[in-house]
Amino acid sequence: MSNVGSRRALVLAPLAVGIVMLLAWQGLVSAFDVPSYLVPGPWLVAKTLVADWSLLWASLMVTLGIALLALLAAVVLGVATAFVFVQSRAVEVSLLPYAVLLQVTPIVAIAPLIIIWVREPLPALVICATIVALFPMIANSTLGLRSVDPGLLDLFRMNRASRWQTLVRLRVPSALPYFFAGLKVSSGLSLIGAVVAEFVAGTGGTASGLAYQILQAGLQLNIPRLFAALALVTATGVALFAAASLLAWLALRRWHESAIGT
Amino acid sequence: MQQTHSTHSTVLGLAGVAHVHANGVRALDHVDLKVSRAEFLTFIGPSGCGKSTLLRIAAGLVAPTRGKVTRADDDATAFVFQSATLMPWADVARNVALPLDLAGLDAADRDRRVGAAIERVGLSEFAHALPRELSGGMQMRASIARALVTEPRLLLMDEPFGALDEITRGRLDRELLELWRERRFTVLFVTHSLTEAVFLSTRVLVMSPRPGRIAAGLVIDEPYPRDESFRLSARFAEQCAQLQNLMVRAGAA
Repeated sequence: MSNVGSRRALVLAPLAVGIVMLLAWQGLVSAFDVPSYLVPGPWLVAKTLVADWSLLWASLMVTLGIALLALLAAVVLGVATAFVFVQSRAVEVSLLPYAVLLQVTPIVAIAPLIIIWVREPLPALVICATIVALFPMIANSTLGLRSVDPGLLDLFRMNRASRWQTLVRLRVPSALPYFFAGLKVSSGLSLIGAVVAEFVAGTGGTASGLAYQILQAGLQLNIPRLFAALALVTATGVALFAAASLLAWLALRRWHESAIGT
Repeated sequence: MQQTHSTHSTVLGLAGVAHVHANGVRALDHVDLKVSRAEFLTFIGPSGCGKSTLLRIAAGLVAPTRGKVTRADDDATAFVFQSATLMPWADVARNVALPLDLAGLDAADRDRRVGAAIERVGLSEFAHALPRELSGGMQMRASIARALVTEPRLLLMDEPFGALDEITRGRLDRELLELWRERRFTVLFVTHSLTEAVFLSTRVLVMSPRPGRIAAGLVIDEPYPRDESFRLSARFAEQCAQLQNLMVRAGAA
């Protein structure tokens, strides 16, 4: 198979599957006359998305804002923590268990506490989403900063490089592929964290995010709007992941195996 | 041998050097060594005989468990590794410039010296190519340019051409000899190729397997420049046979 052909198939094959599934969904809903308050057909969902666009768009901006702020915080905190970790094994060994603790504690369990402690809803939600998105940034950045060619490390030592020079000229570039792998995971997690936190906060939250719309639509049995909001969350997650992948590709395409020839 | 020792000063001396790795493996056992200025000294022996460790000790990268190392040109040492060890994100020019950048040289001076070093190894056309765009031999040339850019007095080379094909290795051997004759630096070279050792060296030291010791020495008393006609000569074959003999007796072959 030619290269161009296989690349085209990479896009067309999943697209075809998606179209077939949407048609089947619409067909089944129409054929069995399923009421729209149980399962709306994709056509109705699309129409609702257009009709409720101004409401949903405003909600999307709130949720996306929370997710992006959380992602930014996770990147800054995660990379900073990784820098601290690689300074000494003792520091890493002492602190890593607590980073893991942060990762394994279900956010739904601690979100109510955070929402009570932090009175302002927006910062509270950002903190929750940050906790969800943080660990992959710490783990990947730490791994990356440690994954340095030992020969190059010897070379830097022989040339009497300072700690700072070794960090900036060797460790940081070596860590980039790992950093971006973490960013791809965390970009999705920040959105999930934002939505979960909004759900937990309920009406005590910003009362305007996408999760709030899903919650409200559910209560009002406005199932088509629920589906439309759901579709928007999913599309946003995919867009965040695509943006992270694009950044990774731009940074690595010239030299790293993972980005060459793609 | 006496002559080279008396007419030149010692650039590197090892006295009673022994080394035990962190995992308990005895890598070197009592090595005494004097390296004279402008010598081309080659260590030969089977893998695991401590040749690399010896070189890393000479470079100051590893402190020996016992013994003393004295170096005359402490800050003018360069190392060429088994693999090219280039930064994959940086082009040839930036890789070659690294030792000068780390030393904080100003840009104009740096660029001039980098350009000269790259030209000397014949990579001028590829100054802005990334390592992955180069062949193995070209990567090794870049690595040598990076070592030369600091104008070292002592060049340590750890099986630098071991991963290359025979033809490329032969060409780089000849180029290295040219550089050595032109700059008169001292070379400590590690190889497991008997013919490479004879072709290049003024002196070959045979190392016995673990724990490594210097079991025998052979002065290759042949004139330079050495070219392909030397490789084909009876004298060359003779020296190779003699070295082979020493290696067998040392349990190194």
